[in-house]
Amino acid sequence: MSIWPDLVTASLIGTERAEVPAASVPGLPDPGGAASDIPGQDDPAALLLDRAALLTVARRGGRPAGHAEPLPAAEPDPAPAVSPAAGRRLARMLGGEHPDLLAEWLGATVARERRVPPHLLPALLDRARRVSPSDPQVRRLSAEAGGSRARWLAGLNPDWKFVTAYTDAAEDAWRRGSKSQRRGYLTALRARDPDAARELITESWEAAGPERVMFLSVLANTGLSLADEPLLEAALDERDAEVRGWAAHLLARLPGSALGRRMAQRALGCVRIDPGVLSDHLVMSPPVQWDIAMHRDGLSPRGGGSLQQLDDRTHLLLEILARTPLCTWTQEFGRTAEQILGLLPGPWAPVLFTGWSRAAMAQRDQEWMIALINWALAGGPTGTRFGAETLRQLARRVDPERCAREATARRGGEIPPPIRDAVSVLRFRYDMLKELGP
Amino acid sequence: MAERWDRERVLALAPDAPSQRTAQSLASGRAWPATGAGTGALWGECRGSAAAPYRAVVDLSGPAYRCSCPSRKFPCKHVLALLLLWAEGTVQDDAAGPPDWAASWLTARTARASRAPSGEPAEPKDAKAAARRAEQREIRVAAGLAELDRWLCDQARQGLAASQQAGYAHWDDIAARMVDAQAPGLAERLRALASVPHSGAGWDGRLLEEYALLHLLTVAYRRQGELPPPLRETVRSRIGFSLRQADVLAGVLPNGQPVRDHWQVLARRDLEQDRIRARRTWLRGRETGRDALLLSFAAAGQPLDDSLAVGAGADADLVFYPGAVPLRAVVLARHHDCDGGPPDGGSVAGLLAGYAAALAADPWLDGWPTVLEITPARAPVPAVRDADGGALPLHPGAGDCWPLFALSAGRPVTLAGEWTPRGLWPLTAWDQGGKAVAL
Repeated sequence: MSIWPDLVTASLIGTERAEVPAASVPGLPDPGGAASDIPGQDDPAALLLDRAALLTVARRGGRPAGHAEPLPAAEPDPAPAVSPAAGRRLARMLGGEHPDLLAEWLGATVARERRVPPHLLPALLDRARRVSPSDPQVRRLSAEAGGSRARWLAGLNPDWKFVTAYTDAAEDAWRRGSKSQRRGYLTALRARDPDAARELITESWEAAGPERVMFLSVLANTGLSLADEPLLEAALDERDAEVRGWAAHLLARLPGSALGRRMAQRALGCVRIDPGVLSDHLVMSPPVQWDIAMHRDGLSPRGGGSLQQLDDRTHLLLEILARTPLCTWTQEFGRTAEQILGLLPGPWAPVLFTGWSRAAMAQRDQEWMIALINWALAGGPTGTRFGAETLRQLARRVDPERCAREATARRGGEIPPPIRDAVSVLRFRYDMLKELGP
Repeated sequence: MAERWDRERVLALAPDAPSQRTAQSLASGRAWPATGAGTGALWGECRGSAAAPYRAVVDLSGPAYRCSCPSRKFPCKHVLALLLLWAEGTVQDDAAGPPDWAASWLTARTARASRAPSGEPAEPKDAKAAARRAEQREIRVAAGLAELDRWLCDQARQGLAASQQAGYAHWDDIAARMVDAQAPGLAERLRALASVPHSGAGWDGRLLEEYALLHLLTVAYRRQGELPPPLRETVRSRIGFSLRQADVLAGVLPNGQPVRDHWQVLARRDLEQDRIRARRTWLRGRETGRDALLLSFAAAGQPLDDSLAVGAGADADLVFYPGAVPLRAVVLARHHDCDGGPPDGGSVAGLLAGYAAALAADPWLDGWPTVLEITPARAPVPAVRDADGGALPLHPGAGDCWPLFALSAGRPVTLAGEWTPRGLWPLTAWDQGGKAVAL
């Protein structure tokens, strides 16, 4: 029906200057072709609209099916999707609720060998694309929890190319790829074969330059072990402060490291139990000076953010506590975490709370985390800004199954906002993990 | 105590997405020093920016809400937050019952409910005056349509090329005149045309189509006496004559017998137009194979009817509005809910044949419901393709449709949508487990 373009052209020019092309549809009378008693029929403009109406409906009704190239199907994925309730929670998180818990949701899903509900994958991949490439967790976990479908989608939309960096990363990606492809390759290798990844890091170290920080961040995310200690201990002597910081952070996390023993020695010089008249209590004596060995182990007398309010000695104490193996205290004092927290002296409580909480989170020590958060929820020292921040982080890392999810203390009175928030996060995480199943 | 709602049900009450977000942040609890629940009601005091706390109360049976805050959204964020707290189990039952401020509203409501007579407002008292008004309206509409046709012919005479430079006022002026002429259906169609000249390649053809169909409508109205009654109803409803829902339900109109079936909810689409929110819910009868369209409206900021969820089903009596292609319906009686399940998907050829037949009866038809068994494809544009290789483009306004692609992963899925002259608007797909997913 090539008359339609002619009609459109005539309508663009206007019937003042253009002829109205004839239009007919087989089997139907041509408007304007036969005599009619309709007023205005002799108006060419009305005739044009009559013919256009006829062709519009004829074209819509007579439209043939088109053609489209089929896509290859994704390879089948045997892993089942998460429960509908878990999917709804993921949708809520992608919609902006507790976005910082997304990595935990994904990690738990991957650990259970489940998959993201298909219709949520595009939104998840878009979110993963927007997170900073220096935090590879969300990207890697999204790729894994997306399974073969995520890889299939990544083949259709170049925005999601990062998915393949984690799944079919070839050695080529390591030698010739961009920094994020190299990170993807190294992350995948580390998950598969930690020793091979460490060897690759060791042999690439000299030439790596600024990528050393990336190497260490990959080590941080998967399978840290004592076998990594020599590499990290050597990194403490690097010139780059960021590399040194990462190395000290990782060594402090590593059970049985020499750095941990050095810290324990310093820590025991600062905190001791004093048998009092009525009850035992803790006595604190922060380090007198900051020496070169402390500097090498990543200790600094000045803190950033809300810790700026602390004086140098107090901040050093906090940093030492944060890097000291927690078993130091339970062994030295012969008490459980809970009992030790019962001895806290008032003015030092926020510093001890934050120092020990950091240690518990770094060392992933659930016993301590539970003792610390229960103590905080019962009205512990969260009045300071850094205390509140510590509680915020604890609530995101402690096993929600094993700690109180109610703010029981101060019934009737007002519950401070940090505690309210911690309780709401704990509840959210408890429900989240329950929905994902065992 | 009423059964506790789940979170989704509460959030569905929110008038818009920002309300959902603010309510969720308000529901973290710290703002609520006092809450309680009992005998089908909830109440709570919320600390806001004002000195006095806002007092929110909910009658769960309605549900009906009341809050002392000045927000014009309804329900407001305080009410939603209170319901969310209740949904997550934070609001405790209070045996002492509601405080006075809540109790007074609740009792006043109960008293009103028992007093109010049920059902429709009374018939217009003066039948003669009503007939006179109807006659005047016909005269006004006829004059308005004559004016519209002159305007349309002017456009065709002067040429459509100038429309690309024309502003919104070009269409808003004639639309306003149609409102004055009591032809709101035409006004709505005209206002929508302002975006056509900027809708990309082929805009000229699309604008001509719309002008031609409007012209056809003015001709059809002028000659309505010659039309078969169902088509006459179609013409009148497109112009904006609306039937009273009570008359439709009463079954007094031709072919107004109720149709009982297991109606599956295929899809839902919300549109916002001119300060009114409209929800289109598509149903398909499992036995009769009939499609039905339920429309519900709410003022902007008010919640829409949420009783029929996508993927659900109901054994119900529907009454159809008269028309050449009767699609619009209203629920007369809902007997019980039943399992939805995925409907049977058809082929592209079947859709096109059905659409052609429907267009032959109602040339103004634009959104045609369909269920297809298809695989999405991307070349050259996002499209769907059935087992015979027949393909249809997806509507350009529907975007990339990535969720549909993700669901399919290159394998066939059942898809419900609206077929329009510009392409298929995908609305619901059923995943491999047979669960409906709104797209």
